[in-house]
Amino acid sequence: MKITMNEAMWDRVVRIILGIALLYLGFGGVVSGWLGTALGIIGFVPLLTGLVGYCPLYSLLRISTKQG
Amino acid sequence: METFVNQTTNQPMIVYIWATWCLPCRTMSPAIARTAEKFSGQVELRKINADEHIEEINALKIMGVPTVILYQHGKETYRRTGALSESELESLFAQAASSQGKPISEPTQTDRALRLGAALALLAIGITVPQAWFLALIAGVVGFSAVYDRCPIYKAVTSFIKDKLRPAVK
Repeated sequence: MKITMNEAMWDRVVRIILGIALLYLGFGGVVSGWLGTALGIIGFVPLLTGLVGYCPLYSLLRISTKQG
Repeated sequence: METFVNQTTNQPMIVYIWATWCLPCRTMSPAIARTAEKFSGQVELRKINADEHIEEINALKIMGVPTVILYQHGKETYRRTGALSESELESLFAQAASSQGKPISEPTQTDRALRLGAALALLAIGITVPQAWFLALIAGVVGFSAVYDRCPIYKAVTSFIKDKLRPAVK
């Protein structure tokens, strides 16, 4: 299955930074307890979508930040 | 500048930029000629001498020789600067011939930079925070995804698997 990228470069960079930040907050011990674990797990989502360049939610909503 | 589209058959085209003074080209030129012969009719080869086509070289933004560029349906889908071995050339031609117009999936330079940057950040967190050691492992996976196409072990393993899965040619 070919994945069609639907994220612009700025979108991908923001997602990767946000994902890494959430991972650090969650698993890095900055936020403790269940909230920290939740933040860490949630952090994988923007990280993965930013690395791949494809957002399933964008696809469902038929939007794309990628030009052309 | 001419567009690299085969007007008659729309088959994939490989453009090979070389130069007489380029030592790796002396090894690669006969190898690419042999490979092109094997895939004659499936993949077209266009050879460009860098010294005789300076305008074209500039237009293509060629950074060094040898360079191999694959075009599918007139669009660039793969580019590599540096010598390729005959087995790597065969793999490229085979992929081009069998891809039926689908671009070869390979990370772009920007993709590589993003993945390597993310891997470094994850590695830093994984190393400095003991309870987040698994992020260092994830960093390894993310970092590998940036360069997997250049890994000889990965190529050998995937080539082996593809050969096993490919139906026997009669």
